[in-house]
Amino acid sequence: MTQKVLKLAGLCFLFVFLGALTFSALAREITIHYLTVQQENEGWPKIIKALTEEYAAQNPNIKWKYEYVPQLDLMQRVQLLAAADSLPLLFNYESGAPLFELIKANKVLELESTFKNLGIYEELNPGIVGVLKRLVNDTGLYALPLEMNIEGFWYNKKLFANHGLSEPQTWDELAEIAEKLHQAGIQPFAVSGIQKWPITRLINGYVIRKYGTDVMSRVIKGELKVNDAGFVEAARWIYEWGHKDYFGPGVNTLDYGPAQDLFLQGKAAIYYMGSWALRDFNNPEINKIGIENIGFFNVPLVPGGVGTLEEWNVNAGLTTSIAHAKFAENPEAIGNWMKYVFSHYGDRAMKELGLITGFRVKEMPEEVPVLTKMVLEKLATVKGGAFWFEALFDARTTSVAWDNAQLLAIGTMTPEEYLGELQKAIDEQKAK
Amino acid sequence: MSLLESGDHAMERILRDWKYVFFFVAPALILYSALLLVPIFWSMGYSLFDGFPISGFRFMGFGNYLRAWKDQDFLRSFWFSAKYALVVTPGQIGLGFLLSLLYFLVLKRASRLSVLIRTLVFFPVVLPTVAVAQMFVKLFEITPQYGLVNAILDVLGLDGWIRPFLGRGDTAFWVAASMNIWTAMGFYAVLLYSGLLDIPQELIESARLDGASGWNLVRLIITPLLRPLFITSTIFSLNGTLKVFDQILALTGGGPGKSTTPLTLYMYRTAFHYNQYGYGSTIAVILTIECLLVTGILSFFRQKTE
Amino acid sequence: MRKRLFFTPFIILLVILEAYPLVWLVSSSLKAPYEFTTQPIYAFSEKLWWGNYAKAWTEGKIGVYFRNSVIVTFPSLFLVLFLGTMAAFGIEIMRWKLKNVVLFFFLAGIMIPVQMILLPLFVFYYRTGLLDTRWALFLTYVTYGLPLTVFFMTSYFQALPPEILEASILDGASLIQVFFRVAVPMAANAIFTLAMVQFFFIWNDLIFSLTFVSKTELRTIQTGLLNFVGRFGQIEWGPTFAAISLAVIPTFLLYLFLSRLIMEGLTAGALKG
Repeated sequence: MTQKVLKLAGLCFLFVFLGALTFSALAREITIHYLTVQQENEGWPKIIKALTEEYAAQNPNIKWKYEYVPQLDLMQRVQLLAAADSLPLLFNYESGAPLFELIKANKVLELESTFKNLGIYEELNPGIVGVLKRLVNDTGLYALPLEMNIEGFWYNKKLFANHGLSEPQTWDELAEIAEKLHQAGIQPFAVSGIQKWPITRLINGYVIRKYGTDVMSRVIKGELKVNDAGFVEAARWIYEWGHKDYFGPGVNTLDYGPAQDLFLQGKAAIYYMGSWALRDFNNPEINKIGIENIGFFNVPLVPGGVGTLEEWNVNAGLTTSIAHAKFAENPEAIGNWMKYVFSHYGDRAMKELGLITGFRVKEMPEEVPVLTKMVLEKLATVKGGAFWFEALFDARTTSVAWDNAQLLAIGTMTPEEYLGELQKAIDEQKAK
Repeated sequence: MSLLESGDHAMERILRDWKYVFFFVAPALILYSALLLVPIFWSMGYSLFDGFPISGFRFMGFGNYLRAWKDQDFLRSFWFSAKYALVVTPGQIGLGFLLSLLYFLVLKRASRLSVLIRTLVFFPVVLPTVAVAQMFVKLFEITPQYGLVNAILDVLGLDGWIRPFLGRGDTAFWVAASMNIWTAMGFYAVLLYSGLLDIPQELIESARLDGASGWNLVRLIITPLLRPLFITSTIFSLNGTLKVFDQILALTGGGPGKSTTPLTLYMYRTAFHYNQYGYGSTIAVILTIECLLVTGILSFFRQKTE
Repeated sequence: MRKRLFFTPFIILLVILEAYPLVWLVSSSLKAPYEFTTQPIYAFSEKLWWGNYAKAWTEGKIGVYFRNSVIVTFPSLFLVLFLGTMAAFGIEIMRWKLKNVVLFFFLAGIMIPVQMILLPLFVFYYRTGLLDTRWALFLTYVTYGLPLTVFFMTSYFQALPPEILEASILDGASLIQVFFRVAVPMAANAIFTLAMVQFFFIWNDLIFSLTFVSKTELRTIQTGLLNFVGRFGQIEWGPTFAAISLAVIPTFLLYLFLSRLIMEGLTAGALKG
């Protein structure tokens, strides 16, 4: 009797199990939903979409869904979605302090262990992984390096040669070069004041040479204050350059594109930017001075500084994270998808977009644009990576750093005032 | 007689019928209470807390208000809003008044020219603010090309005046102020003109016969008669200028730095960019009190003049 | 006559100050890209470059934004006038104890800055799933427009001789009939003036649509234009001018038709009170 019941129960169980299996296999659609600031036919979404569609050809339960969000609305949108526990599987987010908030709320998937489990950890570039981990207090890897950038000063070789100038090794030399260009009637620097961060990058460059690449972590820890002497020196340079009109008239009315145009049309000689700009440099429609005319140097050394020229400002741009909750719904299927997409990502991005990523490139395409090649070579020599200025700031501190930088760059706010207000904002951030 | 009484009685009964009061007033009142009155108190509640939905809220008491008192950015925005209102409101009403005198004293009332000019001057009032602001951005641009203003300065040989008008706080303030005056003066011109039309024609004729003309006529007869309307206009105008948001956002985005950030924009940024709902609400409450106070004081003056 | 001569230069200057920026705007919207760099900025273009408009309309999605504005403005406008007039009728014509309190409640709303209700509404719409839908805008426009409507219409009903409505009540019409058949037709002009004022408020709203709607496909003309200029503003002048013109032209046409009524409404207006 009991046996019979058991058999029956077993049979029922088997049926239900099989049914569930077929049901889940047939009907359980997995949506690869990507919330991103890039357009669907460019950048990261383009590559991920293409790879996902390839994978979906074999696995019809995988569906692709793209959602655009303007960069300005990104923070707000992601925070709302996180509060409602409805983050999409993939989403863009700032890889510094904001991401750390989400990590603490257990909203984001840890990728180091996930990639190791999937056996694709070696696809990742260890250098950029280290940077991304340090950005979130070494709690783990929570962001995908879908691109990898190196930042520095791009310059117009022809303009330099015409005026007998060469790449500067020290900050003082850089200042001299700027002065000579200015005297010759050439705008030394192209800077987008509307974007604000191109201004603070210059301050950042100076202080990482002065104090080393971990300078901003030390500021957050309280070991350094942003109104210390080295910061004042840095801000003073910007203030004075602004006074001397090195950034041109109307720096604060200049947006990203037009500022870059000043450089690429030969109207400004030096342009601090990340290597993501290669996409535009390699486009002859935009680049009027020609690829062969563009040189690149690292942030020069400063007097009494500890930094070296092997250290670069390296970052992964705006990163993409994976929602923990969405992944946990179906770890196996999503894991398999990840395995396919991320073991092909590096190659595909290089081949189709010439994009340098934090993923291994197994087959280097035969024709790599000369500037891309140069950046790849430089990246191979990087000994230490620095953050950007605001990486560890919260939204409010970031806005203090940015907004006031505009005033610093036109000389209506003194370096002391600028740094004083910034330190106050940092203190308030830490008090929370 | 008795018919009328019973009629009054019936009227009373009908007009006091609660069902109909409910039918007419309730839909609007419910919507209004739910989406305007309740939020007002909700905001007042928020202003006593710190935080936002994802991180949770922490009771602060009046901590946010104390913080505003010491917050440089708040004080700067407050000062900007005040300065803006103090420049723009007199500008709008002053120029509006001059225009209304032009319509009233100079132009023939029903002439085509008069109608045309009134229509033209009023037109910017109805334009989308973002469109107007963007047009001004282009007017005052310096890079990559000169906008209209810098181009004209260039042609006139006034090179010294060419500047990034929107790239510096002081000039950006004046651009913002003149844009608002340009937009709104036509409205006040028509409003004050309608007041002028109400002045009995005999009054003006007899004053003219007494030898008052031009300036004296305006000073002694017209201005005192228009005083209540001036105060109404001021209330109207201050309500716009103290709450200015769209135009500034689209013109300068509050910059450079925060030099053209009014309280309204600072509140918006605090709440939606810095995720400080509590402090954002505190700024909103202060702004509300400011508006109510200004309106209250002016209404008091109006009642006194009437 | 001397007086006229004395003022003529001022009048000419006034016309230039008011009209020229708009003329410049439209003429610039018809320039070819190269003309911005090769010709002075105030020069007229040699050929009309309609491509700018095509680009603004399709690529810049001004067409979509325009449609969204229409979809959300007219129902809101209708409802705010309808509910507001009903409420004003109930408050002013009918006799009940708390009517002055209720009226005061409504009037208080006129002075309240948008910022005071923005966050609670945002949270409310978010919780109810209305964020990023047209409903959020629709509900907000109706609510925020109510105080002015109630204020305006109560003053209208107040100025009305009571006998007119009372006569029809004595004729045996129900209050609902009186409202729809007598009060509303009589107030048609006032309602129309008010409709124009409210139309421009709703059509020109920026802060609500900026806060409650972030999907591109739901943006209204103001936020859409802001977004468009952010993306193309400094690089593509022609399409930018075209986009701005596109935002201006419908308002201009509407204004041309209605300007006389607007002026009369304002001149006769309740605003003076």
